[in-house]
Amino acid sequence: MKKNRIKVFLVDDDKLFLKSLEIEFIEDDKYIIETFETGESCLKSMEHKPDIIILDYQLDGIDKTAMNGIAILDKIKAYDAEIPVIMLSSQDKIEVAVNCMHHKAIDYVVKSETAFMRLQKIIPSIFQYKKIEKELNWYMERM
Amino acid sequence: MEILKREESQYARSLIEASLDPLVTINTEGKVTDMNQATINIFGISREKLTGSDFFKYFTAPQKAREVYQEVFAKGFVAGYPLTIRDQKLTDVLFNGSVYKDETGNVLGAVVVARDITEQKRIEKELIEAKVFAEFATELAEDAKRKAEGATQIAEGAVKAKQQFLSNMSHEIRTPMNAIIGFTKVVLKTELTAKQKEYLTAIKMSGDALIVLINDILDLAKVDAGKMTFEESAFKMASSISAMLHLFETKIQEKNLKLVREYDSNIPEVLVGDPVRLHQIILNLVSNAVKFTSKGKITVGVRLLEENEQTVTIEFAVSDTGIGITTAKMASIFENFQQASSDTSRLYGGTGLGLAIVKQLVESQGGSIHVESKPDVGSKFSFILSFKKTKGKVVAEDEVMDIDIDLKLIKVLVVEDIALNQLLMKTLLDDFGFERDIAANGKIAIEKLQNTSYDVILMDLQMPEMNGFEATEYIRNTLNLDIPIIALTADVTTVDLAKCKAVGMNDYIAKPVDERVLYSKIIGLVKKTVPAPDSEIYVMNEIENTRVKCIDLNYLMRRTKSSPALMMEMISLYLEQTPPLIDAMKSSFKNNDWTLLHATVHKMIPSFSIMGINSDFEKIAKKIQDYAGAQLQHKGISKMVVQLENVCVQACKELEEEFNRIKNTHNEKK
Repeated sequence: MKKNRIKVFLVDDDKLFLKSLEIEFIEDDKYIIETFETGESCLKSMEHKPDIIILDYQLDGIDKTAMNGIAILDKIKAYDAEIPVIMLSSQDKIEVAVNCMHHKAIDYVVKSETAFMRLQKIIPSIFQYKKIEKELNWYMERM
Repeated sequence: MEILKREESQYARSLIEASLDPLVTINTEGKVTDMNQATINIFGISREKLTGSDFFKYFTAPQKAREVYQEVFAKGFVAGYPLTIRDQKLTDVLFNGSVYKDETGNVLGAVVVARDITEQKRIEKELIEAKVFAEFATELAEDAKRKAEGATQIAEGAVKAKQQFLSNMSHEIRTPMNAIIGFTKVVLKTELTAKQKEYLTAIKMSGDALIVLINDILDLAKVDAGKMTFEESAFKMASSISAMLHLFETKIQEKNLKLVREYDSNIPEVLVGDPVRLHQIILNLVSNAVKFTSKGKITVGVRLLEENEQTVTIEFAVSDTGIGITTAKMASIFENFQQASSDTSRLYGGTGLGLAIVKQLVESQGGSIHVESKPDVGSKFSFILSFKKTKGKVVAEDEVMDIDIDLKLIKVLVVEDIALNQLLMKTLLDDFGFERDIAANGKIAIEKLQNTSYDVILMDLQMPEMNGFEATEYIRNTLNLDIPIIALTADVTTVDLAKCKAVGMNDYIAKPVDERVLYSKIIGLVKKTVPAPDSEIYVMNEIENTRVKCIDLNYLMRRTKSSPALMMEMISLYLEQTPPLIDAMKSSFKNNDWTLLHATVHKMIPSFSIMGINSDFEKIAKKIQDYAGAQLQHKGISKMVVQLENVCVQACKELEEEFNRIKNTHNEKK
């Protein structure tokens, strides 16, 4: 049972939203949650081996010196391209979404009341997809 | 002498001739010897032919005529002898006659006077007919009366039976509905799958609808039976109405409508009337307005029309920007079970009883109701009622208190005999974080009261052993306790309420118990010393409705499953994060630092929905964000920044109170 639990990193400088997401995730014992208020602190904890990272797009809003979400996304992908990253943003803008996709984010979710529901749907489907991909690769190798 | 005699005789003759009654003289043999003109007229025979003819043959019954003649000569006179003349008309006559004699006393003949009694006979006949008819009519009338009395009795019996039936049914339905709705609410609070939640919500909504229908039917029945009585109690009009409008806030927010209040500040603060019925009227109108409006606003206007020494006349108006009513349907919407079209009931639901009740309630209080409407533009329902003025103070403060007063631990005694209801009250009170004790009847309650002290009693009315009225009387008069007592009643008839007041109860709650009402009534009574914030009520006609709490923790409670620790954690995060954001927003705006303004407001956005702050503010924030993002100077921004600042500051204040409240209750519970 424990083995199947999914380790999720939540990264957002909005503490309130971060907490509310955390609360929702910990209700479901499928997940182990680690939260980070900055992208930098998340990067430092990469050795905790997250299964998936949920990352805020705008991390440099108030603290100008902070790295923004896309920069963090690039670093994560550089560290391990296999880790799926879902981007979060309160902006529902096509440029933002496209930008995220270009930087290899697996999905893009708008911060709203339904955000958690979206995440709840997306995460299992990502792993389902990964599993299918793996199986496919396995068969491909054998062929 | 001879001449004189002749003159005399001529005079007598002319008198005789002038008589309208036939005069005939006959000799002893029964032959006619002389007659006057009237005789000739009636008999229709000339004087010559008549003279010397047989007298008797002119009558339908000659034999009888002969008897007259014989009688006259035998007795010397005859009076009132009826005969019928054999003329064309068969004239009925009465005969009077007497003999006349010569100087020596020999009978010469008889003078007979026949009086025409046709008219008399006719009248007599008519009189008899009239009498018979009258008798017949009387008989008919009596019969009808008996029938009517019977019918009335049957009708009265039927009305009584209907009344009794409705009353019984309503009670019998309401009691189980109480349990159904109550427990559905309880289950809804537990952890559920989305489907289960959906089904339970449907059960609850149907139950609520059924209760509304039952209450409506009962009300109408009461009005029909003339049993609707109106209270005359002093109440605060402004706060009473605004408290009631509270009920619609969630609904209005859900539908993204605006509620505009226009309250005439010239209306005296305290008035005498029936606040419950006034609520009912406005409630019906506003809920219609909300139901039939999908976009725009609902305006509740209260205007002083007239004021004199004793009374004020007030016009209440509820306008909406909804679907409207066509002119053709305007007349029928006030009838029972009528909606403007059958399509509307399919689309919007409802029983179609609301407006019928409103009309009855307004008119039986001597008021009048009007409607103006245009399809697809909106409707305006207005009614006019008069209230008495008073110098007295309001006896019972029954405004809904704000729920954010610091709570000490409240101890509640529930007196209720039905186990299901006991359990329900237990669950509700546990939810509020109140301490509670249960007594199954009045007797047990009194025993408990002698040993323990409570802050408030919830008292069911119908109970075995000792009912709620008796128990209250005992508590007030024998135990001499002035502890607040709230009656729990399924049948809210005015009679019952009067009785509740009479025995010394402070308030009542109708079953099925509405959580909010229960909570606010308990708090209201326990914290009676805290004056209600009246001054704020006059700040009306503002979208923000600043006096209303700007936060709504329902969402948070749902999210955290009402866990106090998590709620406190979330609230403290908000309190930690928001003030710096407000500062950053203000300073960045002042310094024209668009990037920072954009980022700050951006970061604020998710917090609005988490803390249940009106989505209008989220929209304002998004607007600022857009302007800032486009680096556009806009004259509206300054106002919007102030609006955001105000709501955030207020939210912080309210959340701080909420935080302390949760902390206190939480700690005491431990």
